[in-house]
Amino acid sequence: MDALGIVLNWVAEWGFIFVVAGAIAALCIRDLAKRRALVRALLLVGGIVVGSIFLAAAYGKLKPLPGFPWTLASIKTSIALFAIQVESYQVLSPHAANIVAHVLPFTELFLGLWLISGILRRYSALVACIAFCGFMVAIFSAYERGLKIDCGCGVGPAQQAGPGALLRDGGRFLLPALIVTIGAFWIRRTPPAPSAAQTSEQMQTAP
Amino acid sequence: MWKSAIGVAALSIIALGATLNAAPRIPAAHPRRAKAVETLPAPVKSYGSSSAPIEMIVFTDYECPSCRALYENTLRPMISDYVASGKVYLVHHDFPLPQHKYGYEAARWSEAAARVGEFANVEAALYDNQDAWGASGDIAKYVSQAMPASDFKKVERLMQGCAFQDQPGTCPLDASIEADRAMGEQIPVRATPTYVIVYKGRRLPAASGAVSWPILKQFFDSLLSQQ
Repeated sequence: MDALGIVLNWVAEWGFIFVVAGAIAALCIRDLAKRRALVRALLLVGGIVVGSIFLAAAYGKLKPLPGFPWTLASIKTSIALFAIQVESYQVLSPHAANIVAHVLPFTELFLGLWLISGILRRYSALVACIAFCGFMVAIFSAYERGLKIDCGCGVGPAQQAGPGALLRDGGRFLLPALIVTIGAFWIRRTPPAPSAAQTSEQMQTAP
Repeated sequence: MWKSAIGVAALSIIALGATLNAAPRIPAAHPRRAKAVETLPAPVKSYGSSSAPIEMIVFTDYECPSCRALYENTLRPMISDYVASGKVYLVHHDFPLPQHKYGYEAARWSEAAARVGEFANVEAALYDNQDAWGASGDIAKYVSQAMPASDFKKVERLMQGCAFQDQPGTCPLDASIEADRAMGEQIPVRATPTYVIVYKGRRLPAASGAVSWPILKQFFDSLLSQQ
């Protein structure tokens, strides 16, 4: 199970490089057909990358504490520990923090799988962007109030809520999610360029 | 003969030098007081039984408002509930922050109180009256109200001269505070309050900031339900 965590965390932390590089390449291509093909590939990779971020976050929150086995009770303990982290932001009441702690990891799990599946990708990517913005607002608010708390992000090593966590969330998580969202909407709105065969066919039938 | 005399003299000089080097850089303010500190039992800054399945190690600064909130809203109900029932062993460690004017002095008072078995009462008094002594600096007033006069006399004796020494390390009680602080640096403590939970010998990652008793209780219950 830990190997799964390592792979997910690696993709979540470094996958943005492939997405950003793909986006730059797509912008450099002038031919519409080729650009569309590249954006399609980019969306596939981007969906996996952004989906992995959510899966890694859910895994980090649900995985048993060091030394505990994978059981329902240990998952419950991990959620109870996450509730402490949610409450440390001092935004929600204990009851609300508890609800968020029980709902968020499973929402992340669902969103991660939705992004990877590619079903209605433009909407899943949009939801991902909104979620990242929400996390960043929470981190900024904690930092601004001088709270020195663990961000509780669940991805990668534990990080204090502050500029480092904001930079990571903005650059590594939000940026690829934005690229996927823009790409998914762009590909939906841009009609595919006619192929060479179609063009010659049109020319022949023309009076 | 003269060679051995020179040898003895050289050895004496080396030994003297080594002794001077090994001597503490911070001189004990009062040898008699230092002896008094040594002769008293070690400070007890914990609640409950050390054999409890859960150990909660807390690093706090008496002048820090978040530490007061943690004590008043979380630790106090925990002490009367889970510590009293033997589920949790609560250990206090001092981590006075330099930005708090009286934080270190308050730690000294609690340290002295711990040596006469009055730690719990003094900790409660310090947090209950944090605003008052934080403004006036009169910590002794609230410490004296927290214990019998006979005990306060002992505490005062330990604190003689310490209360007005601003620099950490100038009072014999400081050794214990500095040991706590060194332990905190290793965690590492980045803010107060910081707490570490140990369950059946398994140390969980350190956490800092406020946590309410219902949420912490839920976590403890979940831990206790583990096999």
